[in-house]
Amino acid sequence: MNIQAERHAQVAVIGGGIIGCAAAYYIARSGLDCILLEKGDIASGTSSRCEGNISAVDKDPGFDSQMSMISQQLARELTKELDLSFEYNAKGSLLVCETETEMAAATQWVDRQNAAGLSFRMLDRADIRQESPYFADDLLGGLACATDALINPYLFCYALIDKAQQHGLRVYPRAGVTAIARLSAARSPSARVPDFRIETTAGTFTARQVVNAAGVWAPFIGQMLGISIPITPRKGHIIVGARQQPVIERNVMEFGYLINKFGGTRQVDPDTEKHGVALVLEPVESRNFLIGSSRQFVGYDSRIDLQVVQTMARRALRFFPKLADFNLIRTYTGMRPWTADHLPIVSAVDEVPGFYIAAGHEGDGISLATVTGKLIAQMLHGQADTIIPTAPLRYDRFAGQAGKGAESDGQADRVQV
Amino acid sequence: MDKLIVCRCEEVDLDTLVEHARQYDCSARELKLRTRAGMGYCGGRTCRTSIDALLCHLTGSAAGDELPLKVQPPVRPVSLSTLGGRLES
Repeated sequence: MNIQAERHAQVAVIGGGIIGCAAAYYIARSGLDCILLEKGDIASGTSSRCEGNISAVDKDPGFDSQMSMISQQLARELTKELDLSFEYNAKGSLLVCETETEMAAATQWVDRQNAAGLSFRMLDRADIRQESPYFADDLLGGLACATDALINPYLFCYALIDKAQQHGLRVYPRAGVTAIARLSAARSPSARVPDFRIETTAGTFTARQVVNAAGVWAPFIGQMLGISIPITPRKGHIIVGARQQPVIERNVMEFGYLINKFGGTRQVDPDTEKHGVALVLEPVESRNFLIGSSRQFVGYDSRIDLQVVQTMARRALRFFPKLADFNLIRTYTGMRPWTADHLPIVSAVDEVPGFYIAAGHEGDGISLATVTGKLIAQMLHGQADTIIPTAPLRYDRFAGQAGKGAESDGQADRVQV
Repeated sequence: MDKLIVCRCEEVDLDTLVEHARQYDCSARELKLRTRAGMGYCGGRTCRTSIDALLCHLTGSAAGDELPLKVQPPVRPVSLSTLGGRLES
């Protein structure tokens, strides 16, 4: 048997995706002794199988969009704090509309966002043409959010880890958590005994506090401590377009993306409806471009579904018919950690003192990583005056609810976290 | 030979790959993400085996032990209109 020395830290963060990396960064920077446990490589799950929006344009006006705005400020600060580049590009973003009904809804959206203190404005047909020569001629207009930014999510993870290590973070890749035990029920509070023992594929670790930042795999970590975390994987496909001519300088989504996200009814064909397809087109630093999006509840099956990809390509052609000859070089899927109210869980867990959850961001993980990381660090310090109010993100708002059906049951023995 | 290009599509040279592999002690997948080698137009069909061989040489482990470089559909580039199946004129 390979007996490893026990490794101990004040805080163990589980999950090396963008949420875990941001949490580890702010925790280490705040002076706490921290380790990061990741089952694969840093950013080898959802955070390298997504797009890179730090956007407020698609957030519910109010608390949700203000979280994004704070994230945007933090990301801007990180361009100075971190040593490695993460392809930060703060040019704002667009939503485009194809019907008068959408234009009317967009006008309301702009008014509500501006009332919440954000910087939104309506765009007409001529404005849209200025944004890209490849847009369909019949698009009516849309809206722009001035503060939205793009980043490269996996480079952002690398940059956060790199700087966090300078603050003392220890990173353990290929350390999949297999069991967690809470040790301290009977001990005196002053004893210097660890609260948690964490068994992993890279040996045993101990910590006083644990942050579960395992994204779609967070429920399995919860199960190990007997708690139910109502997060369900929602699969999204992305297509990579090859660089040819510049398509557009900033991110664009169709207005229907909002309807898909928040669960309204759209006037679209059955395949587009069934696969939850809505156009997103993101220019990236390599001068390639990414086409999204789809939303499906299919458990943890990450295989590419060509029917979905074809539906997305059709949807992209509806908004960008002049891209017909552009070549696509790659497709991929990522599992987004969905919650019922579209807000993440960033919270202590009363049933298990010392155990925190930072997960459930669905498609907003990139947008909300920095605000989540900073908030978790403040919670670990017991800070009362936090960067955003914590009540809407509490774990116990879902009391008694499980995830969406069978996906989160019975797979703990098959899926290694 | 100043710059031996390994990934032609993204113009990543051998020195860059060796430097990153040594500095980060990383898997082929992470090396790809950090340098863009294998992420270009050909989908890594040209350089994937070279990158695996390079890592094997540097780390002594067999190629693809941990997180191998994958081949992602559609494998060869296709046009948006082909993928979108647009038949009408």
